[in-house]
Amino acid sequence: MAVSSGPVFRINQHPTSPYLTTPRFHNFTRKKFLVKASANGSDEIGGKIVRNKETDSLQIDFSGEKPPTPFLDTVNYPKHMKNLSKLDLEQLAAELRAEIVYSVAKTGGHLSSSLGVVDLTVALHHVFNAPEDKIIWDVGHQAYAHKILTGRRSKMHTMRKTSGLAPFPKRDESVYDAFGAGHSSTSISAGLGMAVARDLLGKDNHVISVIGDGAMTAGQAYEAMNNAGFLDSNMIVILNDNEQVSLPTATLDGPATPVGALSSALSKLQASRKFRQLREAAKTITKQIGPQAHEVAAKVDEYARGMISASGSTLFEQLGLYYIGPVDGHNIEDLVTILEKVKSMPAPGPVLIHVITEKGKGYPPAEAAADKMHGVVQFDPKTGKQFKVKSPTLSYTQYFAESLIKEAEVDDKIVAIHAAMGGGTGLNYFQKHFPQRCFDVGIAEQHAVTFAAGLATEGLKPFCAIYSSFLQRGYDQVVHDVDLQKLPVRFAMDRAGLVGADGPTHCGAFDVAYMACLPNMVVMAPSDEAELMHMVATAAAIDDRPSCFRFPRGNGIGAVLPLNNKGIPIEVGKGRILREGERVAILGYGSIVQQCLGAADILQTHNVRVTVADARFCKPLDADLIRTLAKEHEILITVEEGSIGGFCSHVSHFLSLNSILDGQLKLRSMVLPDRYIDHGAPVDQIEAAGLSSRHISATVLTLLGRPKEAMIVN
Amino acid sequence: MYLTTPLNQHPQLFFPSNPQPQRTKNMSFVKVHAKLNNVMEITSEPKSFYELLGIPETVSLFEIKEAYKQLVRKYHPDVSPPDRVEEYTQRFIRVREAYETLSDPMSRDMYDKDMSKGLHFAFSPRRRSQNDESMENKGEWKNRWNSQLSELKRRNAYKDSDTNMSWGARMRRQRNEVSL
Repeated sequence: MAVSSGPVFRINQHPTSPYLTTPRFHNFTRKKFLVKASANGSDEIGGKIVRNKETDSLQIDFSGEKPPTPFLDTVNYPKHMKNLSKLDLEQLAAELRAEIVYSVAKTGGHLSSSLGVVDLTVALHHVFNAPEDKIIWDVGHQAYAHKILTGRRSKMHTMRKTSGLAPFPKRDESVYDAFGAGHSSTSISAGLGMAVARDLLGKDNHVISVIGDGAMTAGQAYEAMNNAGFLDSNMIVILNDNEQVSLPTATLDGPATPVGALSSALSKLQASRKFRQLREAAKTITKQIGPQAHEVAAKVDEYARGMISASGSTLFEQLGLYYIGPVDGHNIEDLVTILEKVKSMPAPGPVLIHVITEKGKGYPPAEAAADKMHGVVQFDPKTGKQFKVKSPTLSYTQYFAESLIKEAEVDDKIVAIHAAMGGGTGLNYFQKHFPQRCFDVGIAEQHAVTFAAGLATEGLKPFCAIYSSFLQRGYDQVVHDVDLQKLPVRFAMDRAGLVGADGPTHCGAFDVAYMACLPNMVVMAPSDEAELMHMVATAAAIDDRPSCFRFPRGNGIGAVLPLNNKGIPIEVGKGRILREGERVAILGYGSIVQQCLGAADILQTHNVRVTVADARFCKPLDADLIRTLAKEHEILITVEEGSIGGFCSHVSHFLSLNSILDGQLKLRSMVLPDRYIDHGAPVDQIEAAGLSSRHISATVLTLLGRPKEAMIVN
Repeated sequence: MYLTTPLNQHPQLFFPSNPQPQRTKNMSFVKVHAKLNNVMEITSEPKSFYELLGIPETVSLFEIKEAYKQLVRKYHPDVSPPDRVEEYTQRFIRVREAYETLSDPMSRDMYDKDMSKGLHFAFSPRRRSQNDESMENKGEWKNRWNSQLSELKRRNAYKDSDTNMSWGARMRRQRNEVSL
């Protein structure tokens, strides 16, 4: 039974016969004619996407198979979205959400960030013309909807897999990805560059940068906004504010309360009563002054805005961006209206649109979860429950956190600092035990390092837990503030080496090179989780100079842990020999030692017994160990999971300086190749890098003059 | 009969250092004084709680209390003249409502916001609920960004005038000259 719930206009109707004839089909009442009288007050539109009458929003039923997506099926590229009406766009957004949930459920990846910006993505692509118009996504883990809408829907099942879609926007992958992302807070800088280039080249496309409130805590965002305000080039910055400043994985119980003063400014955007009255008064003045004296009116406006607009917006106004907002980020109509208006103006200068969204919107399990299902492995769409693989060992991160807690229990000078990565670095556990001694500084690695340096000057023992690739951002601070002054700051560099699905943006390839070249730094790397615990203790004990240690992503190998998880400091500059052999010595640094041991096993089957040694320290090198190995073996192979310029370079430099290379020794270094390794499964990456046990044993066999055997090693 | 005065007939100019506009509200009616003055009859319905209590909008809690006490003394059923018990009781109830809303800072804020949007829930104040607050927030947001957009548009008109020496403005002027 078709229920017509609104006025139906009829042409040529006899005025005296009301509503007795069957209603004629009219386009603008299409929606109403599809209404079936359903008991629960919701209208079924297509498949399992229904419109909830009370909240007037579309709800998706996740309990079964993926719902059909008729609108999304017609959209392969943004130009297919141009003719959709506002209602169609809403439907498209709902289908996009369903697509993202079901896709990530199979592949794993970043879920809730993409869900939160679905509406924004749809609005952007509807209004603007990518790829001529440049849309730059900060960080990029929220770009799944963008990828689906720009011709990569069919490849979504390969997300984060070897040779599949990249986890973040990548220029090589698609012309619609305007700028590669992965580290945060770079979008405004890149956008400004593109805008200025456009102006110099005389083009007229639009540039839009989308940045989140978390990324706003980084200094680079302000550097960019300041410059943008000064240059006054046309560009749009969209601040995607989901009030999750500091990822929701910050503490074990959910998001940390906002990290700084900035976020409380952002959250207090309301006009108070006094300001409202003031605004009324100001409006009166400008009305009276009239359009002629527009400059005076503008000044009055400016003062009035400065005084009446909310405290958060003046920050952006001071930097020179025109502030618009807050805007409901889930109302596509509003977004489209605003974007179209700004697009139509010839000279708005830099404009900042403050959009409020909810992370994980549209998928109830994500909305409810404490960490909002930010990064997930495969999960069940119906319940949101993740299929976490049970491993016999914990991750290196957890071992690190455990041992740091044990150290801190004994020594109350130990404090921990991280840059908005409480979950990623394991310091959320530390925070639970010692809430006063754990500092989350927001996405601000530079500040984190100098802050740690400041703590160290006063006698505290700061442990800076920052990912190897993120520490690159704070490198000058490491050199100038920590190493030059020889302050005892300890750096715990997680995610060292290849990191698997996150790809080259997160790959920690360079930390050995950039740390070991510093004069005062002690540089070490554990080969397994027990060694890691000992190195945490060692670092805690080194109190007269800076030190660092690196450990990879992944789980431990099952080594015997020290008693009570409390490490014992090891002698600085002393490595160890793990296996004895003859003729060939393999000297590994870090977790790659496990691959060396694997290689030794393979070689055993070829009747070759090799010596395997764990260097432990890159700086200071274990000179005696290296000399012994060089003297007693014909072939020395050094292996590390880092770039050129790291451990292997230091060893070869040492050997050459000590005249050991003048003799009979055959030295080979195995490092990461001189190119970026694409994202993929860790096994595939190690293979691509040429550092697996297979490759190491093949190298040995080749050097021993048995190249044919080298080729059939498996 | 309502007195209708056009908006801003006697606008007052106020500069930011003195943000105390008197009663330039978009209400047009007769002021109700909280004086025990039976001569001044109310000829029109007061349109807001402030009107009802006879106070300007910017008063503090203390003044609200005072006004309330005065009115209560006047309109309490026990002390009202017998022929007007009904009317006075009604008024009494409304005065109570007004006091309840205005004395609580949060509900007063919400009420003020409603008023700014031109919604007068004077005598059926909305119960505060999570949904309501967010819905009303969103309504206010829409007003705000609409006005921001129109201001931007106006600014746009003279943005690239010759006096603007920013890099972007110069580039835009250059481009416009070239394309002419």
